[in-house]
Amino acid sequence: MVKIENLVKRYGGVVALDHFNLDVKEGEIFGLLGPNGSGKTTAINCMLALLKYDRGSIRIMGQEMTPDNYDVKRQIGIVMQDVAVFEELNVYENIDYFCSLYIKDKSRRKELVEEAIRFVGLEDYRKTYPQKLSGGLLRRLNIACGIAHKPRLIILDEPTVAVDPQSRNKILEGICELNRQGSTIIYTSHYMEEVEQICTRIAIMDHGRSIAVGTKEELKSMIKTGETVTIEAVILGADDLADIRSLPHAFDVKYEDQRLVVRCTGAKHNLIHILSCLQEKDIPFGRVFSELPTLNDVFLEITGKQLRD
Amino acid sequence: MAVFKAYMKIARKNIWMILLYLGIFFCVTILFQRFVPEGAEGYTAESVPVGIVDEDGGEAAESLINYIGRTNETILLEDDRESLQEDLFYRNVGYIVRIPEGFMEKCILGEEKIEAVTVPGTYAGYYVDQQVNSYMVYARSYAAAGFTETEIASAMAHRDKAEVTLVDFSGNAGQVPAYTFYYRYLPYLLLSVLGYVMGYILMGFRRGSLPQRMRASAVPERRQSVEGLAASLVIALALWGVSAAVSVVMYRQDIFESGKLIWYLLNSLVMMLTALSLAYLVGTLVKSSNALSGIVNIISLGMCFVCGVFVEISYLSAEVRKAAQFLPVYWYETVNTLLTDHRTVAGSIRSEVLSGIGIQIVFAIAFVCVTLAVAKRSRRSS
Repeated sequence: MVKIENLVKRYGGVVALDHFNLDVKEGEIFGLLGPNGSGKTTAINCMLALLKYDRGSIRIMGQEMTPDNYDVKRQIGIVMQDVAVFEELNVYENIDYFCSLYIKDKSRRKELVEEAIRFVGLEDYRKTYPQKLSGGLLRRLNIACGIAHKPRLIILDEPTVAVDPQSRNKILEGICELNRQGSTIIYTSHYMEEVEQICTRIAIMDHGRSIAVGTKEELKSMIKTGETVTIEAVILGADDLADIRSLPHAFDVKYEDQRLVVRCTGAKHNLIHILSCLQEKDIPFGRVFSELPTLNDVFLEITGKQLRD
Repeated sequence: MAVFKAYMKIARKNIWMILLYLGIFFCVTILFQRFVPEGAEGYTAESVPVGIVDEDGGEAAESLINYIGRTNETILLEDDRESLQEDLFYRNVGYIVRIPEGFMEKCILGEEKIEAVTVPGTYAGYYVDQQVNSYMVYARSYAAAGFTETEIASAMAHRDKAEVTLVDFSGNAGQVPAYTFYYRYLPYLLLSVLGYVMGYILMGFRRGSLPQRMRASAVPERRQSVEGLAASLVIALALWGVSAAVSVVMYRQDIFESGKLIWYLLNSLVMMLTALSLAYLVGTLVKSSNALSGIVNIISLGMCFVCGVFVEISYLSAEVRKAAQFLPVYWYETVNTLLTDHRTVAGSIRSEVLSGIGIQIVFAIAFVCVTLAVAKRSRRSS
């Protein structure tokens, strides 16, 4: 569906995309995950032919993507990071306007607009103007404007920024539904939980490069961390820490503010081993957490920094 | 025609604002028309009731009384101090002239001045003063030439009243036709309404990431521009059409009889195009509705004040007129003034009218060029 090869985009001396590669297959929900400034929006803008790039190639639906390739543009739906609607038009008029940029037939358009309104749950707000909508409803309107014409490829650039949890869930459910209806989705976000929740494949971006690509399971299997055990309110000495470090499968031990964090490889009974060690030494402790690796761990291990740094 | 329809929809949302401006425009025009003085085709000297105390009774004194009586009402009064004061107090007379005994010797041949009393603070006295002085100048000239008292009286009696003939170039018999005011104030309507409406629409299309959203759509950019331009023209033409139609309905007979309707329409049409191009420039630059309101007010009111819309060009100082030449409304008003002042548009007047219209077109082209440059620059920076 989308194939990007060795894409290079520079803003003066700053390299925004550095030999960026991407291969999105039809029917996928493909997540582009990366911290702010990693090049996600630049990649999207290049895909939409909104930006000229310095090197590389972009092919969408088998055709080279150029500013005047309207056959391809007609089959793409875009949901911008900033809400892109007319304040002067009400909900229905806004969706109808954006739909009319793709669909000329009036009766067909009417059906599609109604469908889009139902899809995002704005039935009670048809005549409402954007200024009167809450942040979450405004985001839903933004999405409705991008998907009303039933595109084959939908690009959503951080659609849940500054959205309340209820609207966020509604939006994420909607994206999965669009995918079930046959659209291929490219979803960019810096919220790893969202990407983990809905994306079938994920590319992690940093400094304009795609540093890891795969399903979430594949990405997690790429790293050493299999489990992270956190124990609160524990008082440890240097000897105790040395003993914990010597436990099998524990490869990274951190102790700060009476909080012990042990990262272990993906083996069984890691938690039991650690707790047994503490009990043997008669060391009291508070709450205990065991977490499977997240995409943040993947990012952390590959780049040495947190995803939200 | 998605973009065209969106322009029209947003314009329709501003219909109350457009109607408000139309209402203000018609009210202001009608009000100004009412304040135009009627009977401006000529003038007559002010007639003042002048009291005369004739202590001389000679031929020269009689000749002076007749001279004053040509334009004023003369009333012979007794030389009684109290009754003279009463006459002035009750405004039975506005001016009292005392002709002394021996008027010929003392005042015409000698240097003695004629005693006169007037109501303080009234302008009537100035008129009569001028007439008395005028008589004395002529009489002394005749006396110097050797005329006798009888000859001076006879010469002054036969002296013709000065006549002023007004040349009627405009064909309006000196009157200012009401439609002239209508077309004089029209730039304010065009600049304000087009400035607000176009600014509002263009600001809407430039908000946030809408330009990128539009560029990523299936409608080619060139088509979007053409549709936007077509919609702007339709909106501007509708406004011009309404104002032209109203002028025809309001001044039907006068404006048709003048034979200059076509010129007024052509001039206002070109002004409309200039106002539209300026509105496009403002809409491309302005970022908030508050700024839009301020800038449109400054442009419309500012231009109208310095270019002869609210104050006639002839009343403006030379410096203001010089500066106003760099603004299109000045040329619109210059053409309007030419049309008002001349019965027919031919020869050199026609050339002046056409060059005024041509300069407005040049302004419109300049505004379009600047707008294109600004739009290109902002597109590059985004």
